[in-house]
Amino acid sequence: MSPIDRAAHLNRWRHRSLAEKAVLALGMLALAVILPPFPTALVVVVVMVPATLAGARVPLKVWLGCAAAPLGFLLMGTMPILLRLDATGLGPAPGGPALAAGLAARAIAALSCLLFLALTTPACDLIGGLRRLGLPAEIAELALLIYRFLFLLGDTALAMDAAQAARLGHVGLGRRLRSLGLLIATLLPRALERARRLEIGLAARGWDGEMRVLSRRAALSPSALALVLALEAATASAGIWLS
Amino acid sequence: MTLLEARALSYAYPGGITALDGLDLTIARGRRLAILGPNGAGKTTLLLHLNGTLNPSAGRVLLDGTATGHSRAALAAWRRRVGLVLQDADDQLFAASVFEDVSFGPLNLGLSDAQATERIDQALAALGIADLAERPPHLLSFGQKKRVAIAGAVAMRPEILLLDEPTAGLDHHGALHLLAALERLAAEGTTLVFTSHDVDLAYGFADEIALFDQGRVLAQGPAATILADAALLKAARLAPPLALSIGLKARAAGLLTESDPLPRGKAEILALVDRLIAGISSSSSGQSAATRDHSREIV
Repeated sequence: MSPIDRAAHLNRWRHRSLAEKAVLALGMLALAVILPPFPTALVVVVVMVPATLAGARVPLKVWLGCAAAPLGFLLMGTMPILLRLDATGLGPAPGGPALAAGLAARAIAALSCLLFLALTTPACDLIGGLRRLGLPAEIAELALLIYRFLFLLGDTALAMDAAQAARLGHVGLGRRLRSLGLLIATLLPRALERARRLEIGLAARGWDGEMRVLSRRAALSPSALALVLALEAATASAGIWLS
Repeated sequence: MTLLEARALSYAYPGGITALDGLDLTIARGRRLAILGPNGAGKTTLLLHLNGTLNPSAGRVLLDGTATGHSRAALAAWRRRVGLVLQDADDQLFAASVFEDVSFGPLNLGLSDAQATERIDQALAALGIADLAERPPHLLSFGQKKRVAIAGAVAMRPEILLLDEPTAGLDHHGALHLLAALERLAAEGTTLVFTSHDVDLAYGFADEIALFDQGRVLAQGPAATILADAALLKAARLAPPLALSIGLKARAAGLLTESDPLPRGKAEILALVDRLIAGISSSSSGQSAATRDHSREIV
């Protein structure tokens, strides 16, 4: 079970309305992208990171775990901007530090916005939101089913992998590859078999081809949304004024 | 009164493996019927016939004495009255949260959102999982998933609930929780039919037993009668329940009279043991007092 999913389901703002969270995250993201990085990106980070950690009470360890990979990519990405390789050898690029700092600030701001949304809002809420925005029902259902069964398939694969390892199936590269091939070949019929049983289960509950479920959606709090919009307006004006 | 009935039901899986072989079964309203048989006897196949998932190659399933059909409309009417819970809850839970998953059946019945919500809340409360309503299925324990799967069927308020191995794989605590929930459903009038290979569970919980092996019901009747028949149990590759064996032994030894109820579970066995201990200590203390009197006489 992924830590992102766990945080998304168990954080304090789980039951805040999707609109409030999406407007906050995507609005701030847009500001960070459009406006000059200094100081807008910094303000965005200063708002979004505390919102995630203190507001939604997402554990710092989870946040850092999720941020590590993108930050690693960012570090690699800024290197070619900071440095220049020419006939004289490796040296600092002219105007490199300023450019790299701007890029890094913008990327970190965007990351803080996306992590806020990912860590406070379960994937199913996001898909539900897209559906209300006009995503066709079939695609939404498919996405939800894939999301649900991804975990089951993952668990099965992990169990099979452990069983193979216990029987020395991972000793040596050749055997490791062979075991992996067998695992993938076994997963497919298992997935099909499960799909067949799922159909029996759904039919027993009167399934007629459409998956209707009742979602309890959090009511939109107008004051919270107003606060979000005010925050964004303040960030935007600070960004324009101070740059 | 017979609610659901299978008559001379036969079914062979593609490939020729016979799963049901002229099976007869009657399910009376308000009963708790255990279909007891060893692994691989075809119990699941039987349940899949009882809600119309599988179509028998011969024989009929009767609902209220009327033959059932396999048309779309007939199946819908049938499944409205006969609910099914699969053995592996992961085969049944598909939605993003417990509440949404349980809402699936009621909405398929065509209920309004308000009516559906009322049923969902009641089903969750009946299974003791109201606090899990907003959880996604993959964050639940095995026992919790099982109860959610049952709630999904219960929310449709079926007259008969078919459960495939409801306690399989559950720990002691989980099994107790589940049985308590089933007890509440039975008390509200739901007819329960469950498959099991656990004779002790069946004896403790069911009032009627259908002994099943090799695609046939070998015998059907009151739990105590069927399970006391050692030859019959042996034919179904099962052993008598412990509580019943102890009870019959106690009765044969005169510790229980013919009118005393036989123990059905652990609590009653322990009560019997207590009586036995009390009897031993009182008789031994009585004996030592007599010995003392006797010795005094000698003196």
